[in-house]
Amino acid sequence: MAFATVLLDGVSYGMVLFIISVGLTVTMGLMRVVNLAHGAFAMVGGYLAVILVRAGVPFFAAALLAAAAVGVLGAAAELTIYRPLYRKGELAQALMTFGLVFVVIAALTMIFGPEIKPLPMPGFLGGLVDIGLRPYPAYRLFLIALGLALAALLWWTIDGSLYGARLRAAVDNPRMARALGMDVGRLFTLTFGAGCALAAFGAAVGAQLLPLEPFYALRYLVLFLVVVGVGGLGNFRGSFVAALVLGILDTAGKYLLPAAAAYLFYGIVLVLLLWRPNGLLPSRSAA
Amino acid sequence: MRSRWGMTLLAALLASSVAGAALAAETVKVGVLAPFSGPFARWGTQFRQGIEVWQKQHGTSVDGIKIEVVYRDTGGPAPARARQLAEELILRDKVQILGGIVFTPNALAIADLITEAKMPTVIFNAATAVIVRKSPYFIRVSQTIPQVAAPIGEWAAKNGIKTAVTAVSDYGPGFDGEEYFSKAFKAGGGKVLESIRMPLSTADFSPFFARVLQDKPDALFIFGPGGPPTVGMINTWASRLKPAGIKLLATAETQQIDLPKIGPAALGVVSAFHYTETVDNPLNKALWADLHQMFGKDAVPDLATVQAYDGMHAIYLAVGKLGARAKADDVIEFMRHLAFDSPRGPIRIDPQTRDVVQNVYLRKVEERNGVLENINFETLPMRPDPWKEDHPENK
Repeated sequence: MAFATVLLDGVSYGMVLFIISVGLTVTMGLMRVVNLAHGAFAMVGGYLAVILVRAGVPFFAAALLAAAAVGVLGAAAELTIYRPLYRKGELAQALMTFGLVFVVIAALTMIFGPEIKPLPMPGFLGGLVDIGLRPYPAYRLFLIALGLALAALLWWTIDGSLYGARLRAAVDNPRMARALGMDVGRLFTLTFGAGCALAAFGAAVGAQLLPLEPFYALRYLVLFLVVVGVGGLGNFRGSFVAALVLGILDTAGKYLLPAAAAYLFYGIVLVLLLWRPNGLLPSRSAA
Repeated sequence: MRSRWGMTLLAALLASSVAGAALAAETVKVGVLAPFSGPFARWGTQFRQGIEVWQKQHGTSVDGIKIEVVYRDTGGPAPARARQLAEELILRDKVQILGGIVFTPNALAIADLITEAKMPTVIFNAATAVIVRKSPYFIRVSQTIPQVAAPIGEWAAKNGIKTAVTAVSDYGPGFDGEEYFSKAFKAGGGKVLESIRMPLSTADFSPFFARVLQDKPDALFIFGPGGPPTVGMINTWASRLKPAGIKLLATAETQQIDLPKIGPAALGVVSAFHYTETVDNPLNKALWADLHQMFGKDAVPDLATVQAYDGMHAIYLAVGKLGARAKADDVIEFMRHLAFDSPRGPIRIDPQTRDVVQNVYLRKVEERNGVLENINFETLPMRPDPWKEDHPENK
């Protein structure tokens, strides 16, 4: 009984990590940019959703609008800030994107203050649902359903659509893709924006688990990077598996061995990376 | 020696006809160390509001001596930076009194320095019990964690709670909270089923609280560092444990300033604390009124506001009594016997420990006129810090 609850907890936590991180795996795998500002885009989305909800927009509409706005913002950032970085080394990329994080933190602190901004969920998500064994929070079940739906959508997009085929081609061999006449630059912009939009959406729906405050972008950055690293750079299925595995193992570990909780997560990451240094699913393709 | 020479000089000046002019120009500088930037910036803001309200109510000078407050930004817990800033305040800005100090590591880092420089230092917050022992020039007007954690344990044992689990953040103050809650709870006949320590980086508290659910205690005691972890703990309790009838016991987690972030989940949480925002006394009412007038309707006093306000009170009393050029030892000797009324209720300094003695309130989160507030239901009058009794000073 307790086992089922812990499993659901782990899966729902993993889903939030997946929704936010999946954009990052594409950025880092596809564009080979060390994008430490990913959490900042997520956070901006969360804040936009807060503003919209306060202005009376229903929660889901607010989350989608915020995601769309951050998608546009992300595409603009790709064109202006990220594009010149592609040819620079990793150090320049890390410094630039890390600097961007601080700019966003300072800006949000100035506008909204350093405090947590609560993002109220629709009432029906606040209750408990009887899942046969015991009452379980509806919000968590919603996260699981949403994560699965988004994963399915992404799967279809990458495996089944023309856009996905181009994306995979560009990841596998960007020079060849260009030679075949693909507009790889536009593909990058579009994909970067989509990744940012997903992160923003994840931050909005996951705000009950990862509360929104200006240091969000740094506080959870390690989590997002770990999901991408363990999943394998540029591998969206890998991120899905990694987020679930980490979510479940971390949750079960904290439940069974709370005394070891402080290092358990990192221990799991260490073991996984020793076992599979290139990630759980290090295929050469984005899918 | 130097200040005695100063007194002689002052006497000479007084004897001369320029005495009036010299007095008018006298200033006491107070250096306030606090975070004004970064994730802990709220402390600095609240300190400043408390200080400014005090100065609005009592003026910027005492007996013709101007009190000038010099703020320095320590960022977060940063011992080296705190020490460096304290040094600068003492040597370059020539402050006569230090105040502020939010974090324990910062307080410990300046202890030797203030002893060497003979610098009276009024702690506005840092709450680890041992701090004041580290320098004879520390006076604390805030609180200690055992001072508020023990009363909630006592109360629980007396009020039908037979078993409890403690879940605290894995850091020094969390251990203090765990130890003193457990000690008082066991002394009252209660049983602690499990003590859980949760990493500060924890984002999802559900696995820990799933464990609590398995233990089936009557109540859960939590201690968090404020900010996201505290909100996470209370929300997780509300969605998992509250429906199972497990009560939540706390200390600083349910301050009114934080309740809007937690929302209705906080309803019914019982806590013990030294300042309740709704406490009914004229000083507290005046504090609210002036805060609203000076900083807008959204300003809410918290422990930092009140502790800084009281710190200034102590400093004003000392300067009023001893003048602008008092010796550090005289200032400390005077302050260790202080007793005055605060917005939190009466407080005094214990002459032996140089630590604050004050009422501890038991209160419950309720909603009144659409605002979530703490409402007192019991007052434990004038409680000292229990840690000092357990750890007598060896000399």
